[in-house]
Amino acid sequence: MYKLVKNPFTGELANQVIRIEDGAYIPFASANTDYQAYLKWVAEGNTPLPADEITTPSA
Amino acid sequence: MTQALNLANLANSVNSSGQLAGSAVNGAVASATNATNATNLTGGTCTIGTTQLGAGNASIMKNRIINGAMVIDQRNAGASYTVPGGNSSAYYTIDRWSIQSIGSNVFTTQQSSTVPVGFSTSLKITVASAQSIGSSDYYELQQPIEGYNIADMQWGTANAKTVTLSFWAYSSLTGTFSGSLRNSDASRSYAFTYSIASANTWTYCTVTIAGDTSGTWQTTNSTGIILGFDLGSGSSRKGSAGSWQSSNLYGVTGSVTLASNASATLYLAGVQLEVGSSATGFEYRQYGQELALCQRYYEPNYNWIILAAQTSNLSNGSFNIGFLVQKRDVPTMTFYPNTAGGTQGAFTTNTGFIYYDNTNATKQLGSSSNTIAWKASAEL
Repeated sequence: MYKLVKNPFTGELANQVIRIEDGAYIPFASANTDYQAYLKWVAEGNTPLPADEITTPSA
Repeated sequence: MTQALNLANLANSVNSSGQLAGSAVNGAVASATNATNATNLTGGTCTIGTTQLGAGNASIMKNRIINGAMVIDQRNAGASYTVPGGNSSAYYTIDRWSIQSIGSNVFTTQQSSTVPVGFSTSLKITVASAQSIGSSDYYELQQPIEGYNIADMQWGTANAKTVTLSFWAYSSLTGTFSGSLRNSDASRSYAFTYSIASANTWTYCTVTIAGDTSGTWQTTNSTGIILGFDLGSGSSRKGSAGSWQSSNLYGVTGSVTLASNASATLYLAGVQLEVGSSATGFEYRQYGQELALCQRYYEPNYNWIILAAQTSNLSNGSFNIGFLVQKRDVPTMTFYPNTAGGTQGAFTTNTGFIYYDNTNATKQLGSSSNTIAWKASAEL
């Protein structure tokens, strides 16, 4: 299972996903084997969880 | 050599003061003439010309295997590791060596001090849970070799070079074991055997393999060659030995299936893959050199880093870290403590990363409790 990630500075989706099982950040890099596994997972009909909303921490 | 022979003429030109005796020069010329037969240089063990240098224990980066001496263990620092398995993922044990196991918790691995003469470490694999082997099951120790490191072999062309695999093996079992060399798209493989005649005795094994003139072999930063030692794969993943085939063989039909034997052990040490038709002495690299080679693929940092504040009112803090070694590709990053979510994470390149964290007020940069550790993985 994976979750999309937002860039906290821009609010846009970042070029990476989080692998839920270990919290690893997987970059969208073509030769990264974790990214290749993610693409295979998506190709099998799966959909990543939406990204968390960016919040501003309280003071 | 022509210039050397002209020394004789020089000898004739020595002045009458006798500072350079003609006989001495002639002697030097005679030695130089013998040097044209370069086997005389080192007693016949090293020929300059068509045969590669590197015989004996010379080190010229001939070994395409990284951590073949099993000395680097960044993940477990010598501790035992139970391979989770249960899927097709490769689980890395000591650096650059991974196990693929369809069964869960079948193997434990550990860097070992049980070694053949000349080595200080080996890799020990123990069967923790004996398996009933299905025909398509896979159990394998493997090292994927980056394409850049095998590009000169010219596999997939008419100029493909012959390679020789050598290693030391030691097992509680005896018989014919097997393994294979494969390409990354699973379309080409060469299965080989090696024999262990006596249990719990180190056996030196060599396999010479003519380069594959067919298939696609990657030559950049993805997997070029997969070297696999079969640990008990099923019958459909095995075939005949000694020839290139258009299939994805893990081993040879009828070979030993370690995974089906409870508590069975296999140790490997001194694994080397080199260009040439015969095995030469193992290439010992300096520890720091071998570590750096490993860190191209995996780099952990467990020295807890205290995040420093950038400005007192910064809501989104960040800092950047450069990797010790540039990675093969942009790595997968894992942070500790792990609270992965939208407000904590990193932007990463193959040379370093920028970490950011505005999870909550108590995790703001500059907080004394705000420390992280991380690991970067760009394994093949």
